[in-house]
Amino acid sequence: MSGKRQLILATVLLIAALAAPAFVGNYWLRVLTTVFMFGVVAQGLNVIVGFAGYHAFGNSVFFGIGAYATGIGMTLGLPVWVAIPVAVAAAALIAAVLGWPFLRLRGHYFAIATVALNAAATEVIINIGGVTGGAQGLPLPFSSLPPTLLYRIIYFAMLATLVLATAIVFWLSRSRLGYALRALRDSESGAEVMGVDTVKAKILAWTISAAMTGSAGGLWAYWLTFIEVGTAFDISISVRGYIMMLLGGMGTVIGPVIGAALFQLVGDAIWSHFSGIHNLLLGALVMAVVLLVPQGVLDSLSRLRPPARRPRRAAEA
Amino acid sequence: MFAQTFVNGLLLGGVYGVATIGFSMVWGVMGIINLAHGAYIMMGAYFSYMLASRLGIDPFVSMPLVMAALFCVGFTVQHLLLNPVMRTSVLLTLAMTFGLELFLVDLFVALFTSDIRSVNTSYSSQALAVGPVLISYVRLAAALLSLTLAAFLYLVLTRTRLGQAILATALDREAARLMGIFPERIYNYTAGIGAALAGAAGSLASTLFPISPGLGNSFIGAVFVITVLGGIGSVTGAVAAGFVYALIQSFAASYLGVNYQEIVAFGLFLAILIVRPQGLFGKRFFGEV
Repeated sequence: MSGKRQLILATVLLIAALAAPAFVGNYWLRVLTTVFMFGVVAQGLNVIVGFAGYHAFGNSVFFGIGAYATGIGMTLGLPVWVAIPVAVAAAALIAAVLGWPFLRLRGHYFAIATVALNAAATEVIINIGGVTGGAQGLPLPFSSLPPTLLYRIIYFAMLATLVLATAIVFWLSRSRLGYALRALRDSESGAEVMGVDTVKAKILAWTISAAMTGSAGGLWAYWLTFIEVGTAFDISISVRGYIMMLLGGMGTVIGPVIGAALFQLVGDAIWSHFSGIHNLLLGALVMAVVLLVPQGVLDSLSRLRPPARRPRRAAEA
Repeated sequence: MFAQTFVNGLLLGGVYGVATIGFSMVWGVMGIINLAHGAYIMMGAYFSYMLASRLGIDPFVSMPLVMAALFCVGFTVQHLLLNPVMRTSVLLTLAMTFGLELFLVDLFVALFTSDIRSVNTSYSSQALAVGPVLISYVRLAAALLSLTLAAFLYLVLTRTRLGQAILATALDREAARLMGIFPERIYNYTAGIGAALAGAAGSLASTLFPISPGLGNSFIGAVFVITVLGGIGSVTGAVAAGFVYALIQSFAASYLGVNYQEIVAFGLFLAILIVRPQGLFGKRFFGEV
């Protein structure tokens, strides 16, 4: 799908999202907020997987860190608009520090190391106890705002985060860093030879990815007002984000957002009608996506039309 | 206490080894991390349970049947679902097997509910006393059978034409093709053997642990760690690492507490990945992944 058409699609979606709260009830407001949240997670994965080619299956660790840092910050008395940015900074910092040893691992090794990192983080939170609430979970201070207003604020905050994340990916798609990442995705030694500082580029990509994922986690914690390790560091958060990114098209600008919307809305339809076997259907859906549209739906849609000129795609393939 | 802990770890190590070999081989030969491996183990346990409860066949006796059934499952899944995906990107197979795992586990919840079941044999609770140490017959049999299976697989890989073809494909897929080997077909067989071994592990597990659709989840973490510990693709490495892991887990559980057994395992895992990604025992058996 061409850049121009992606831009038009993005604008239409944004206008619809801005207008939606005026027309929908609480249920759909919640569903859409979830769509935006997963959109942010999927964009975070897009940066590290789609651009840099490092399959960070355990990126949910930054979701959990964002959530817990927000929760701890607010418990210690920070207002939410300070706590969330601090949490995002914490997630980014941890990614930058851990990036040095972790990003030396390639392919599957990196993917699994991130999964292990996520599991280790869970254990650490439980065993620290104290301010993290340990295994009991962490309740956040209640907001004095009326619930309807609060949920609307969270809706728009999540939407703004998604727009910002997408804007960053858009910038990345045409920046020096973005080209460096795509070069090292295709051949790390090749990129090195061409003068790319691959270590710096990879760490930067994971830091950006962690900041995005952490901000989704922070807002989620504020939204839920109660967090526990099992749900905050749930590996299925990043796996779902991964599938969404795949569904929409990895390495594209708005693909992950489309993927999030499709997956979450279809998933929601499945959830409500087939309780009990929803993982069965989810698994079947994942397999169908990987088997039938591995390049993402955006790509498949654009194949339905006669290709005008697609020199870029040819170069990528 | 020390001797008992040591023996417990040693007996469990064999089962961990068998649970790991198939996973490690599939990873080493094809570069596929089969997240559904745990689900295969669970399926093996349920097949054993069915054969034991409906037909009264002892799990140790029905094991070849279970292995044959799982071989067919692994072969078919590879042929229909994984080979097509491998042509586009090997890393996408991770998403595919994740989907498969969700599908299979929920399928078994739908078929058998999440109730916990168990296989009881007449000798379940009997044990051999050696001095102060008790050795459960079931665990002893499971450990010995595990070693036998591992040795058998090792012979198949090194002494038969199929084994040679599998090794050749792992080392250099294109060169193997030039030698008249069809990599896709070899992949099907490799996946089949991997699943059959998972089935065997499931069979053994059904005699040792309670069975539920979540059974595989309790194995897959250990299987990951043992694979990396033993060196990806290495049969002997998987068995040796299975013992090392089980001993570490057993000692961590009894001296530090059950809460710490996972932290120790994951800590070990991260340390190995970062310091020695080729595994404890060095030599890479199969091709670079």
